[in-house]
Amino acid sequence: MSWRRSAAIARLDLRVAKRDTGPLVFMIVMPLVVMAFVKPAFQFALAATHPGANGSEQAVPGMIVMFGFLAVGATGFTFFREHGWNTWDRLRASWATPAEIMLGKLATPLLLSVTQVVVLFGLGHVLYGLRVQGPLIALTVVSVALIACLLALALMLVAIARTVQQLNAAANIGGLIFAGFGGSLTPLSIMPHWVKTVAPATPGFWAMRGFRYVILDGQGLRATLPAVGVLLAFTVAFAIVAALRFRMAESKTSWA
Amino acid sequence: MLDVRNLRKSYGDVPALRGVDLHVGEGEIVGLLGPNGAGKTTLVSIVAGLRKPDSGAVRIAGADPTKPATRRMVGLAPQELGIYASLTVRENLAVFAEMAGLRGRPLAGRIDEVAELLSLQALLDRPAQFLSGGEKRRVHTGMALVHRPRLLLLDEPTTGVDVSTRADLLAAVRGLGAEGAAICYSTHYLPEVEALGASVAIIDRGEIVARGPVADLIAQHGSSAIELRFDGAAPDVPAGWSGVVDGNLLRLASASPASDAGAALSLLGPDVGRLQSCELVRPNLETVFLSLTGRRYADDYPDESVVPAPAVPVTVTEVVGDVVAP
Repeated sequence: MSWRRSAAIARLDLRVAKRDTGPLVFMIVMPLVVMAFVKPAFQFALAATHPGANGSEQAVPGMIVMFGFLAVGATGFTFFREHGWNTWDRLRASWATPAEIMLGKLATPLLLSVTQVVVLFGLGHVLYGLRVQGPLIALTVVSVALIACLLALALMLVAIARTVQQLNAAANIGGLIFAGFGGSLTPLSIMPHWVKTVAPATPGFWAMRGFRYVILDGQGLRATLPAVGVLLAFTVAFAIVAALRFRMAESKTSWA
Repeated sequence: MLDVRNLRKSYGDVPALRGVDLHVGEGEIVGLLGPNGAGKTTLVSIVAGLRKPDSGAVRIAGADPTKPATRRMVGLAPQELGIYASLTVRENLAVFAEMAGLRGRPLAGRIDEVAELLSLQALLDRPAQFLSGGEKRRVHTGMALVHRPRLLLLDEPTTGVDVSTRADLLAAVRGLGAEGAAICYSTHYLPEVEALGASVAIIDRGEIVARGPVADLIAQHGSSAIELRFDGAAPDVPAGWSGVVDGNLLRLASASPASDAGAALSLLGPDVGRLQSCELVRPNLETVFLSLTGRRYADDYPDESVVPAPAVPVTVTEVVGDVVAP
């Protein structure tokens, strides 16, 4: 295992990302815009239980979760575009082992996801008055678990999808479902009973629960551990499916 | 350097390789010659470790090509153009050089060497998407050799390139061979193999049907002829000549076609009025291919390997190709 070879692949993806900042803009600007629209609804929903809340306590993590899941498609596309550019086989024939390739390919999406979370929480504080009641370490742990879950989900979709259209459809539909059931778009408290029943089966629900405990309820690391544990369980499950299904030699159809 | 033994590969019920044997020594350039669908790309992919054979063995310097340590000896330029369009030429080359462990000055130096070899110096900082087709193809090839592979696999590297790029690539390949690299050069352009001074492996329908130096193959299998094309059915083979009639084509075997052409024309009688073209065919790889496969190479690549037969008025043309002795 050579970290340098993985780093070379990661630098390659980073250079490509620098040339096309569209995905990063989507991951940062879009959630900031949507936060402005959903914040009042969350403030209204929280008024009874948290009178001092301004709505950003749910709007900011809600959009982080939703656009995190929607960005799973962009992560998957970093694999599919290699097929579209006819460079996947070149990577496979290079000095890099499959593990080094996979690690390198995931590094830039990981960096972008971390950037997304940090920037959105930061701008959420500056623009929307977000205040985190609990310790930052707990917020960090939940964020890390969420990012791990997102990357594993992306890998699973890459392993399953044969075409980039399938990847996009799965990422977009899955992202909205996970975000919706998690309470990213609408407070779960006002959702129908069946939604509340199904919600725990989605990782979005556990991410939102973890964030809520820290941001709104001011609880510490211990309180978030169940949510973090479930997120990591989802991560492991997605990773297992990806490992069982992924074939380096399989041809994928991209846009090209 | 490369040893391939009894390699077999099928896609479903369709056999792609039917027991291929091939040896390529260090410093040797082998022109892997064959029409589309002959099995060239499948063979190259298996040697590069990208596909697994159904049976048979591939050894690169005695080692398994699927092992990482073995793959480090191999450079592959696949048939399909594979570059990172938004990156500069330098960055495209750097990716694969960095994966080979080059850093700092050695990395910059090697990129400059490859750029010089492929005439890319002035383009190094230009995004690949703004290059011409031929320039992209040179970058594509450069990415395969930037780590100094001991075995270089070039799968139809000159497809779609201009004359200048083709000359650059052929010169680069010759230079790499002279430096000791074993090179497997898949192509369907017969003249390239002769220009490379390569030995030849002719592959047809998944089998190597001939292997050896060009001169030896031509001596063994090549033949010269006079080829007469008519408006309408060709006449019978004149008495005293050996030859074949194929539709509107009359092929007459001749050891010295230039000297015999006049005599052949004089024997046509009134059919000479229907003559569309007369071609003098020297023994070359075209005739070798025809002799070994029973098919004209030009039937697969009508625009690339031979000079097309002209229409009326009658002309005498010396061509690169055709005809098997009866």
